[in-house]
Amino acid sequence: MPQTNRSRNRALVDFVVLPFLFLTVALLGGLRIGAENGAFIFIAPPLVTLLLATLLMLLLIRAGLLRLHHWVGSDFPPLTNVAHIWMFITIFFASAQAFNSVLPERGLLHWLFSFFFLWTLWNNQFSSFDARRLLRSLTILFGTAFVLKHMLLASLYSPEGGWLKRVAGTLLQGVALGTLDAPTFAPLTGYIAFFTLALYVGGLILLAFAVNGETTVVTDPQVNNHQQLCP
Amino acid sequence: MRKQKRELQSKIIQLGGLGFTLAYAAFIVWIYATEPRTFKEVTTGAEVAAGTYEINQEKFNSALNFFRREQFHAARVEWQQADPAQRDARTQFYIAYSFYREGWGRLYFDQELFKQGVEAVNRAIDLSSATTLTIDDPDLQMHTVAELKAELEQGLEHNWSEVNPLKVLRTRK
Repeated sequence: MPQTNRSRNRALVDFVVLPFLFLTVALLGGLRIGAENGAFIFIAPPLVTLLLATLLMLLLIRAGLLRLHHWVGSDFPPLTNVAHIWMFITIFFASAQAFNSVLPERGLLHWLFSFFFLWTLWNNQFSSFDARRLLRSLTILFGTAFVLKHMLLASLYSPEGGWLKRVAGTLLQGVALGTLDAPTFAPLTGYIAFFTLALYVGGLILLAFAVNGETTVVTDPQVNNHQQLCP
Repeated sequence: MRKQKRELQSKIIQLGGLGFTLAYAAFIVWIYATEPRTFKEVTTGAEVAAGTYEINQEKFNSALNFFRREQFHAARVEWQQADPAQRDARTQFYIAYSFYREGWGRLYFDQELFKQGVEAVNRAIDLSSATTLTIDDPDLQMHTVAELKAELEQGLEHNWSEVNPLKVLRTRK
């Protein structure tokens, strides 16, 4: 009976909960609320976020969070293959939209943020990672970008004149901030972005649990080699 | 036996999950394609997509009363509320007609209003492409979208007839 429950719950998480969670991230990642009239503004993921999402997917595969060989293959029934491929697609678009939610919408800051994300993800491709480390690194990465965009920059460009605007105004008297131009949104946008990122990281943690439930993740290559040598 | 039951359950969950999440993904794509600005627009758009959209007849009639009293701007506001998704050919026809009547002048036509009239009449044409839209309203002198469009476009043209002094004798339709 516990075996039945486990397999049912596992199927529910894999084929219902996780795709639903990641699709919700895809929906909310591009949502902003207009500062003037409170209208919804939907921003489709810019091209650079697709590139960032691709790099992130490679990292997820390297860290063992996504197990292509275990989930998709000619030995599995077609429906299982389709369901797993669908889950990969939802993770890809959720990743793109998670980046979209923390990237400034235009201007120099958009490109600066994109460059730093690219740099970090590219460097990470050559580091040794396991699922836990990657999750920690991603939480820090998205957390930092969230604080920079939705707290510091939002304060800098707030029409009422946030605390940072006053500090920057004092420090940079006579210097134009025109090149750092960014649209202003209602404070609710920050809350939506926070919820989106929490949902995304939560989804990845759930994915890690699902993967761990499948088989124990061996992170040390030496232990792995030893296990292969001694059956 | 138990294993078979487990596999069947898993298959049902896979199918159900796939169907549900695919529908959800389609909804997300639709949201990003139509870019609604409020929850009201989301529900109106959903009604249009589901084919259950209907105009607010009360608002439509109220707009018609404004129109007949020559309060064209107020009429348009009511019609826009009656047909927020701009999916009703008849309402769009009347909106275009109100632009025509408001923009019509003995000496000149208001170009801005006529342009908006052409946009509205084009919407009416798009919405009634399958059948020819005819409005049986005795207060109107033009009953089809083609007539109205021709009249509006003629008002936007610039030619020598504009300097003809006899044009003061022309009548509004």
